[in-house]
Amino acid sequence: MTENNFALFPNSLKKQGDDSLLIDWNDGHQGILGWKHLRGNCPCATCRDERDKPANPFHILKPSELVQPAPTSLVPVGHYAYRIVWNDGHDSGIYTLESLRALCQCQECIAKKTTT
Amino acid sequence: MQPQATMPKLSLPNIRTIIAVASGKGGVGKSTVSANLALALAASGNKVGLMDADIYGPSMPTMMGINGVIDQSTTPLPLEKYGLKIMSMGFLVPPTQAVIWRGPMVHRALTQFLSDLDWGVLDYLVIDLPPGTGDAQLTLTQTVPLNGSVIVTTPQEVSMIDARKGIEMFKQVRVPILGIIENMSYFIGDDGKRYEIFRHGGGAKLAQEYNVPFLGEIPIDPKVAESGDEGLPIVLKHPESLVSKAYMALAKSVVSELGTMVAPKELPKLEL
Repeated sequence: MTENNFALFPNSLKKQGDDSLLIDWNDGHQGILGWKHLRGNCPCATCRDERDKPANPFHILKPSELVQPAPTSLVPVGHYAYRIVWNDGHDSGIYTLESLRALCQCQECIAKKTTT
Repeated sequence: MQPQATMPKLSLPNIRTIIAVASGKGGVGKSTVSANLALALAASGNKVGLMDADIYGPSMPTMMGINGVIDQSTTPLPLEKYGLKIMSMGFLVPPTQAVIWRGPMVHRALTQFLSDLDWGVLDYLVIDLPPGTGDAQLTLTQTVPLNGSVIVTTPQEVSMIDARKGIEMFKQVRVPILGIIENMSYFIGDDGKRYEIFRHGGGAKLAQEYNVPFLGEIPIDPKVAESGDEGLPIVLKHPESLVSKAYMALAKSVVSELGTMVAPKELPKLEL
């Protein structure tokens, strides 16, 4: 049952300092993702919609936008994703394992993204 | 893919195995397959539950011969009939009344079916999913420790198109696919000849395409519809029929696939 061998899987998740998440993947890859980067790429419908809008040069920052984003919890969703609850109260983003890997900011992944 | 509500996975320690029966398309016989699969599993001495997750169009009350709204003050839910424990929205709402709910209410009803009712100890819980890849599917895949899914399709391409969507959904949410079953596969006429009314081979083709097991073919027999409408599924009413034998074989294949399957690993947690 090849299709049921869901290949990509995290062996462990660790915090690195106050600003990043380290993921040890089962293929040996060690991923790193900044919390700010994750919050900025929240996959929920509201955040996607916000990102799709043209930038507003007169955008007035809300107090919650001045706080460095940090998670208050990471909750596994089924066997395929994590829900991140943020310190600004936002909690509707479900990050699939594939999306966490795609958002990886390690040097190797950044280099791959810049060459493609 | 967003949740209707945020909720941790339900803990159902008394239910050993949970199987979802799904298809992308409506009208392919999911409820008939679910009911007969549950009865076929029970026929081997297993304790089996059957949960109708189709909140908007529950079929189980009719198929299992349970008519009318259940008075919960006198009759505990899930109901027991034909050796199965059965729960359906149809036990709570009259058949003429439409359930007009948005997703969060569906989510709540389904989680309550599972967490608030006393299912007792079960070897298998068969969940009959509604068609599509919507709220009910999302709730169950996010909150229920599903052991596997059975995909039902009819042979023709129009059914397979939607079955593919169902398969893709289970792949995406990492619920193992136990296999594909082709319903309404063929008809044996009075002349003894086999007629492939809706074409043939779609289920096997789909199984090959996704490299998942093909669990078998269920023939068309007017007795299936008659038994369903009478509230006595064909596995009980005509156990010697070709269709009943196909269901018994399906149950065996499902159990065998479950035996070979490695349970999905729990995701590691991060303490913050």
